Amino acid sequence: MTFSDEVLMAYADGELDATTRAQVQQAIGADPELARRVAAHAKLRSALRSSFDPVLDERIPGHLLAAARSKPREAARRGNVPLPRGAARPWLQWGSLAASFVLGALAWQLGMRTMQSGPIMERGGKLLASGELARALSVQLAHEQSTAAAVQIGVSFRSRTAQYCRTFLLRDREQLAGLACREGEQWQLEMLARNGAPVAGPNAYRQAASALPPALVQAVSDMISGEPLDAQAEATARARQWRAPPSITSP
Amino acid sequence: MPSSSEDLGEQIVALLPRLRRFARALAGSVHDADDLVHVAVERALSRSHQLRSEAELPRWLFGILRNAWIDETRVRSRRNRVLAPAELGAQVADPAGKDHAEALSVQEAMARLPDEQREVVGLVLVEGLSYREAAELMNVPIGTVTSRLARGRDALQEMLGPEPEEHQ
Repeated sequence: MTFSDEVLMAYADGELDATTRAQVQQAIGADPELARRVAAHAKLRSALRSSFDPVLDERIPGHLLAAARSKPREAARRGNVPLPRGAARPWLQWGSLAASFVLGALAWQLGMRTMQSGPIMERGGKLLASGELARALSVQLAHEQSTAAAVQIGVSFRSRTAQYCRTFLLRDREQLAGLACREGEQWQLEMLARNGAPVAGPNAYRQAASALPPALVQAVSDMISGEPLDAQAEATARARQWRAPPSITSP
Repeated sequence: MPSSSEDLGEQIVALLPRLRRFARALAGSVHDADDLVHVAVERALSRSHQLRSEAELPRWLFGILRNAWIDETRVRSRRNRVLAPAELGAQVADPAGKDHAEALSVQEAMARLPDEQREVVGLVLVEGLSYREAAELMNVPIGTVTSRLARGRDALQEMLGPEPEEHQ
């Protein structure tokens, strides 16, 4: 009996059902070439293990221990705000540092009272859009909004975690700008920043987001997957109520 | 669901050695691998509500780490299209790799595998997941796992020669 290499591999990995396993075993006994191929599979497996297993005994870097032991939820309850995701890479760090700083300061300035009754509410340790802001994020399309609207929507995009995210500007709140991503039925705030000078220097999102503070532009560019949504994609996303398309898995 | 974020944190700490090993198999350099683990841990903590039971924690974390790696490779490939090759340096695979195949260590050989083969090899051969577990984690049919694993093994064996353990 002949066996494909995939079957021999599965044999070496202990993945075969009992019947096939017995057949392979018998064939190996009669055919040294089969035995050699199975042994090569097993050898490769043990070579990989002996190459990577020493990682298990390495000292764990302090920044990883600190990250695992940090308590984002409790920090949020105290009025600070969770860092944007994906903050570890050096080229992402500036954005997240700026984000946490700006958010902390703004949370303090706005006060928790504002957060519970105004455009932003705190629930279960998360900052969520509420009221007019939540409505605008869900309904308003950037290309057909009135320039007089209290909430201006900026860039809409798909994040690297497959969520829909949108930037916004609150006109009547000292030009407060922010970034929110769809979490279930809510818009979770990823970032808030006071709107300052227009973004300086060349940036891919400058045109669409020219009124956004640099830290926010940085956050968008850190989080975005692909290009910002065009008018049609934005309308499609709204029609599916900003539920992430199933194409990208995100456990 | 762990009873508190502190418990979850300590459970993640206990899994850090394995997460680092898997990340090393995916990302190659110590630095890139630990960056990946860092991203995965942060994502896990910010989405702990998605974790349905403690028993799922290891695979849930491996899945988050794997997705973070995929995000990273996508971003990198987008940057690679923009940046000058000189800025990329060591990130670019050595096209002349086979010329000195006999000198390759197992880790170097892993780094040369196509991404989709490397993740299967990492999950099954390094981390010891079953084919089915790997298929569920990657959200692909089990036959895809088998064929990618077979191709990855072939490529590794070719790069390492007949006696891989003697080179490492």
